[in-house]
Amino acid sequence: MDLPLVFDSQLATQLFVNGLTLGSLYALIALGYSMVYGILKLLNFAHGDVYMVGAFIGYAILNGLGGPISPTIAVAPLIVLMFLGAMLGSGALGVVIERFAYRPLRDAPRIAPLISALGVSFFLENSVLLLLGAQFRTYNSFLLGSDHPKQFIPGPLSDAVFVVNGVNVQLVQILVLATALGLMVALTLLVARTQIGKAMRATAFDREAAAMMGIDVDRVIAVTFFLGSLLAGAAGVMFGLLFSQVYHLMGFTAGLKGFTAAVVGGIGSIPGAMLGGVLVGLAEAYATGYFGGRWSDLIVFGILIFVLLVRPSGLLGTRAIQKV
Amino acid sequence: MRSRRATAVAALLALGAALAVVAAAYATTPERPAAPAAQSGSDAALVKCGKNRTIGVAAPITGPAGSLGQQQLTWAKYFVTRYNRSHKNKLQVVQGDTQLPDTAQAIQVAERLASNSSVLGVVGPAGSQEVQVSTGPFKAGGLAFITGSATRTTLTTDGTRKGYFYRTVPNDDQQGGRVANYIRSKLNASRVAVIDAQNSYSTGLSDTVEKLLKAAGVNVQRESVNEATVSDFSSLVARIPASTQVVYVPWQLAPKAQLFGQQLRAAGKTATLFGSDGLNDPDNFKIPGSYVSAFPVNVSSPIVKAYRQGPGGGKNDLFGLPSYAAADVLARAVDKACANGSASRAEVRKFVAQTNIPKSQSVLGFRIRYTQSVKLPLGPGDMQVPANYILYRINNNGVYVRVP
Repeated sequence: MDLPLVFDSQLATQLFVNGLTLGSLYALIALGYSMVYGILKLLNFAHGDVYMVGAFIGYAILNGLGGPISPTIAVAPLIVLMFLGAMLGSGALGVVIERFAYRPLRDAPRIAPLISALGVSFFLENSVLLLLGAQFRTYNSFLLGSDHPKQFIPGPLSDAVFVVNGVNVQLVQILVLATALGLMVALTLLVARTQIGKAMRATAFDREAAAMMGIDVDRVIAVTFFLGSLLAGAAGVMFGLLFSQVYHLMGFTAGLKGFTAAVVGGIGSIPGAMLGGVLVGLAEAYATGYFGGRWSDLIVFGILIFVLLVRPSGLLGTRAIQKV
Repeated sequence: MRSRRATAVAALLALGAALAVVAAAYATTPERPAAPAAQSGSDAALVKCGKNRTIGVAAPITGPAGSLGQQQLTWAKYFVTRYNRSHKNKLQVVQGDTQLPDTAQAIQVAERLASNSSVLGVVGPAGSQEVQVSTGPFKAGGLAFITGSATRTTLTTDGTRKGYFYRTVPNDDQQGGRVANYIRSKLNASRVAVIDAQNSYSTGLSDTVEKLLKAAGVNVQRESVNEATVSDFSSLVARIPASTQVVYVPWQLAPKAQLFGQQLRAAGKTATLFGSDGLNDPDNFKIPGSYVSAFPVNVSSPIVKAYRQGPGGGKNDLFGLPSYAAADVLARAVDKACANGSASRAEVRKFVAQTNIPKSQSVLGFRIRYTQSVKLPLGPGDMQVPANYILYRINNNGVYVRVP
């Protein structure tokens, strides 16, 4: 076993920053799992691959606009375009997946859409493999805008590092955290205060009753898939900006962690997914930082099992009252 | 009740996922039992050598190491293209996707190639763990298999694959010795971090370098990370003290090592990165001031230039180059075995063992001949001296410059 390092507040703070950034990605992915599960009671295992497709759309836009080093437009609008393109593209993909892979199976036994979800996952992975090959594609975010010294960001994105009491915080981390937070707040407001949000909550509570009240359940489900996939697309671009490389299998591990986050937080619960994502990110960062890479997955999934044993419905999940 | 059942299903799925992740990280698939020494039917059976002769190529064409396997496949096929252009008789390739690190796939590929009676020999497989699990099927089928990347020393020195297994790369002990010696005597490092990538290739090299450095009195911090599944190394970087002078990363995924290096620099740490041959990838690993060890290849060879302008699409794909040499070794043996109009796999093996490719014709830049017995650190199937690793330093422009 790797011996834990002596406690060091600087290290602990650095790991907190790292974990929070990673956790915000997991939270965005977890939200998609949770929203879909809340409405359809379906574990959408293709969700991680929608996130992968979002990352590739961001990559295509980045390269379509001149590439990371000499983009043809300023860095700030470039990043905005990457996010918009990836979010809309992933959202549309989510709607298509729902329409053709899940809707026909809505009244089938629950195992059928689960298998369909796995099939879609493999379909997306292998489609990207066939279309784009197995090699890693790089956002080169560490060099993003390096030939544009007078643009919004002074020099390469990664050069903008703030050192606070010995803790490194990159501008890209702040960008990712702020974007993730903004999206989560927007989603919360949408679900809590809009007509479609009310319809989503009603459908999640009782789909049949919602339909009888005049809610277009098909449309609500499609919107749910759109929103969940939209967040996954944003997470894909964030991943590319943070970690630079995208590849066709990147959705598997991230999807697994996002699913874990959703379950830890209480699958079906939006605040739970956010909390779960952050917890999983922090657990991974601290486990790696204090115990080494061999232990991180063991600890993260150990936490999942522990949480489920203590609170089977997750940290913020509620036990549904069942009709008998 | 339904909610509880759903939670139970979720818990089971999560438990399964946890076990899968842990198992994948620590998987060591036991070697399949080797075939008896006596020749099997397919070993002795004669294949009529018509105009077309078939060789197998086993590589991880998809999966996490797909980028490396694609290089190997492309290089091996490039050899076949060139060969077919200049020979009346033609070679054709049967390819198998071993999907490293999933060794179950490697076994299936080996069994498929061994049972295909038209296959006379195999280029590959890529990983040492794949070689281990494929040995049984290949030996049972009497096939020679020549890897362009599996470097674990014991694959040859344990003697169990003698006469069947060959490689066109030097082994880990040669590489580890070269690297440890350079870190100690040229970089004068007294504090080194060694980070294995939780796979057979990487842990073997890490163990060798760690042992040699410790024996030389160097303070070694051993770390571990699963390069195939981890995408954020910032917390691992946080574990490395600022006083560390060299970080040795014997990994195979150059983009991941590039990210690790960028995160190391972003954290303000100045340790010199030292990569293994798996990171000899000028397109994807270019942290200034870093070093990589590399297969000995003749980069100035016209073949490399032609590859770059042709199937390489502007890239050298040097990791795959030894697979070209492996295909060359195999094709020459097949030609000799077919000289009388028919060939057996046993004949092909015999002629592979007798390989003697002169320096002027070798894409590796030196004569290729094989050791026939154990002479540590070499074993039967290893290339004879002067095959050894070379070292590159990456300059500020990202260019690989060979160091003495």
